Amino acid sequence: MTDTTPGPRARRDQYRWPALGFIAPGVLLVAVLLYLPLLWTVLLGFTEYDGLGDPEWIGLENYAEMFDDPEFLGSVLNTLLWVGGTLLVPVGIGLGVALLTWNLKGGTWLRLPFLIPYALSGIGVGVIWSFILSGDGALDQALAAFGVHDTPRWLVDAPLNTVVMILATAWQGVGVNALLFTIGLQSIPKEPLEAARMDGASGPRLFGSILWPMLRPLTAVVVGLSIVASLKTFDIVQGMTKGGPGRDSETLALTMYKETFVNSEYGLGSAIAVFLTVVTLLASVLYLRQQLSSKHGV
Amino acid sequence: MSRAIRTAVLAVLGLVWLLPVYLLLVNAAKSPAAFTTTESWRPTDFSLLANIGEALELSGLAESAGSTLLYAVVSPALAVLVGAAAGFAIVALRLRHGFAWFVAIFGGTVFPLQMILLPLFDAYSRTGLFDTRAGMVIVYTAISIPFSAFVMRNFFSGIAHNVFEAAVIDGASTWRIFARVYLPMASSALVAIFILQATFIWNDFLLGLVLSQSDTVRPIVTSLAGMQSTYGGAQMSTVLAGGLLVSLPTVVLFLFTQKFFARGLALGQY
Amino acid sequence: MRSPRIPLIAATAAAASLVLASCGGGGEDDGATTGTLDFYTNKAAWEPDFDELNAASESGADITLDTTGYSDAAQYDAFIKQSFRTDKSPGLFTWQTGPSLAELVEEGLIAETTDIWTTAVDEGWVSPDLRESYTFDGEQYCVPMNIAYWVMYYNKSIFEEQGLQEPTTWAELDAIAAQLADAGITPYYQTSTLFTFQWFQQLVAGTDPELYSGLATGEVKYTDPAIVEIMNTWLEQERAGWFSDAGSTVDPAVGLKQGDFAMINFGSFFNGSLDGAGMVSGQDYDMFVIPAVNGDLDKTPVAVESGPLCVAENSSQKTLGLTYSEWWMSPEAQTAWSEARGDVAFNPQATVADPMLEELGATVSGDGYQLYDRYYEATPTPILTVALEQFGAFIANPGDPLPFLEAIQAEADDYWADQG
Repeated sequence: MTDTTPGPRARRDQYRWPALGFIAPGVLLVAVLLYLPLLWTVLLGFTEYDGLGDPEWIGLENYAEMFDDPEFLGSVLNTLLWVGGTLLVPVGIGLGVALLTWNLKGGTWLRLPFLIPYALSGIGVGVIWSFILSGDGALDQALAAFGVHDTPRWLVDAPLNTVVMILATAWQGVGVNALLFTIGLQSIPKEPLEAARMDGASGPRLFGSILWPMLRPLTAVVVGLSIVASLKTFDIVQGMTKGGPGRDSETLALTMYKETFVNSEYGLGSAIAVFLTVVTLLASVLYLRQQLSSKHGV
Repeated sequence: MSRAIRTAVLAVLGLVWLLPVYLLLVNAAKSPAAFTTTESWRPTDFSLLANIGEALELSGLAESAGSTLLYAVVSPALAVLVGAAAGFAIVALRLRHGFAWFVAIFGGTVFPLQMILLPLFDAYSRTGLFDTRAGMVIVYTAISIPFSAFVMRNFFSGIAHNVFEAAVIDGASTWRIFARVYLPMASSALVAIFILQATFIWNDFLLGLVLSQSDTVRPIVTSLAGMQSTYGGAQMSTVLAGGLLVSLPTVVLFLFTQKFFARGLALGQY
Repeated sequence: MRSPRIPLIAATAAAASLVLASCGGGGEDDGATTGTLDFYTNKAAWEPDFDELNAASESGADITLDTTGYSDAAQYDAFIKQSFRTDKSPGLFTWQTGPSLAELVEEGLIAETTDIWTTAVDEGWVSPDLRESYTFDGEQYCVPMNIAYWVMYYNKSIFEEQGLQEPTTWAELDAIAAQLADAGITPYYQTSTLFTFQWFQQLVAGTDPELYSGLATGEVKYTDPAIVEIMNTWLEQERAGWFSDAGSTVDPAVGLKQGDFAMINFGSFFNGSLDGAGMVSGQDYDMFVIPAVNGDLDKTPVAVESGPLCVAENSSQKTLGLTYSEWWMSPEAQTAWSEARGDVAFNPQATVADPMLEELGATVSGDGYQLYDRYYEATPTPILTVALEQFGAFIANPGDPLPFLEAIQAEADDYWADQG
């Protein structure tokens, strides 16, 4: 990896040891507690292992089996739907809420309804959403009150079930994104903003010329986290449809979970996890490099 | 857009957002014996306190609360500092190959947590960290670092580098610049990371499930999650009441930290 | 910035040893026969019941259970398997019968309980039939924790309104369903996730018990014409509107209470859920043993589910766990357990608190009934996973059964080929 903002070598190296000291605790903790166990998973991906006895080395067979499974493709497609959907809905609405509340009197309190869902424990949230989306559930009852009786089967018909689960996730995720964008808006220096206002910029023009470019570091955070989180989508699907009916709403994380924990195919499950990790890492590195290095340096 | 329109749009959207919360409250208050799903929107009776009592009894929540609070305060606090230090090293001190270091830390968050549970359990039980509070604090800290480093690195990159140079000219040490200049400037980001991670840890279920055993070490949601199953156990309204109860501290946390996000922190002044 | 250095070094060493470590683990049996026993269970909701039982076990055997409940069954299995490799190898844990217990026994991970069973059968504490599910190569392993018979629960007020009686033949059951459907009441409960197998199990075993056991051993194919015909019967019933909305996530106990459907095929542990939902046993709901589809069968097949209580061979608490298992089989322990949990007891000498369950236990142990292992335990896991998915897909969108059966058979072919 090359540095994009080369400075005089001597000046950079002046802080080499302090810099390493500052970054060391983070790197060490992550390496020991997250990467070492992961290494075990990567190794298991090349073995046949049922959780008992010893793993048996089988090379790339798990990967061959994985790509052979026609249902695996469905799982990949569902996962991509999640990535696209979460970028569109919670990130979009989150940005909207942050912009609307920015410098608005009472804005912090108007933002609160969006934050409360995040603060709620996942247990209550899972129960309440299956309650809402159930056949003849809260949503159907509300629609019936408005005279709509012929509603789709929200959690049964694919790909509708994936779409409504994305919306349920959005309900919980918008607040976090709004909060992060708010921090971004707060860190924008006042001078260029005032200058642009003096020039008569407002609304979309102000947003396009000043806010959007200035929000870039935080946009990178929100989009990066959103990609990572959506690729790992598990809890809500496991809670509401268990990937069903059949395997219609299965995501990659669910496929991995099923193979590993339900079928005790640790090797195959690990191979799926490795595939998922590589895809996630590639997607985020490509995105972040482009977002982070071009302007702000690293 | 005028302030009135902005307020109106936010108020309407906010109300829509609160509808599921309303459902949660109404249904958590119904007594299990009278509970039906045919009238989801209408409050029927008020048995919230009885349901909460039942949830407390069934799950042994009270015992878990203290240690969960410890995890949810200590771990994110450590993670915020460790993450900020990493961001400082990369952005302000311009660590060589900063992006690679950054990816190394950020990479800790990209794989599904389920994949490292069993090796972690194995390692924990071999080192005596299994079922200890220290063990839980360590793992929660580690898991919170990537997010924290990510946000802090990007936040610091929005600060002009001449802030750092000016402080150097004043003769401050790197530690002092970090602690006295960069950290204070980042207070809203630090608080945001802290509350988000504290909420995440408070609501964690998986790590607690696998790495702890005794009631005094087990986190609260892991205790609560055991309540409901096919093989009997708590009724829906009891589960909802329990979910509501454990959510109270995090909701309160969000309420109390709101003032940090009230106005721009005017970073431009530096 | 201070890092927690010492734990860090410990963790590094831990992770390193983990990567290097192969087999091994477990501790020395400390030989204690009284004290506190670490107990792991995937039936986390029963934790308060186990705690309640401690009073009896303290006076009866001087052992106290320290219960740790897991709510996700699949993760629980993985955790237990992993723990055999460490010194946390459990002194007592719950498991499931069938292939997954056989797997542990084959690896030599489970402590033998032959002596305990011999005593229990001699004393008349347990039926010799039940011993079969716990026998591998002539020796016994584990003891039964709970037992559940899969029966039909029904909403009594609906039955009364419609002037219906408990059926004694399959034709009568069909007539009941038809009458309910005509009256605009959904006869049966169904779901498209997890519990998707009951009706299939009921139809196959009730038609021909040998066909059913052939599926479990791989001798009968899922694409067998007899199975296809059974599925077509199911399809007709689906098309006649006999089953509840597959998209409903309403708790089945609440669904029966509010009359979303009139009947539900469930295990006899369901009493607890119905009581909790505010229904009164024998007054608001009742149950009957489902008649066999084929009236010519000598005995009516009844699905049984039994969860074992096991001790790990290499646990440091092996002796303590076995001592507890021995006590567990006694009428005294089973009476206390039935009181705490309100479930059927496997021990005929125990007193069962709920008269409905008492009666059920007496009925199915009579001559006219034959117990068979529930589909969930009888089917090898990889086939089960696919079957549950395919039945779920069939329930969600009922149609030509052959593609669903072919998908299950494809997995079964793979599995049996691997078994050689």
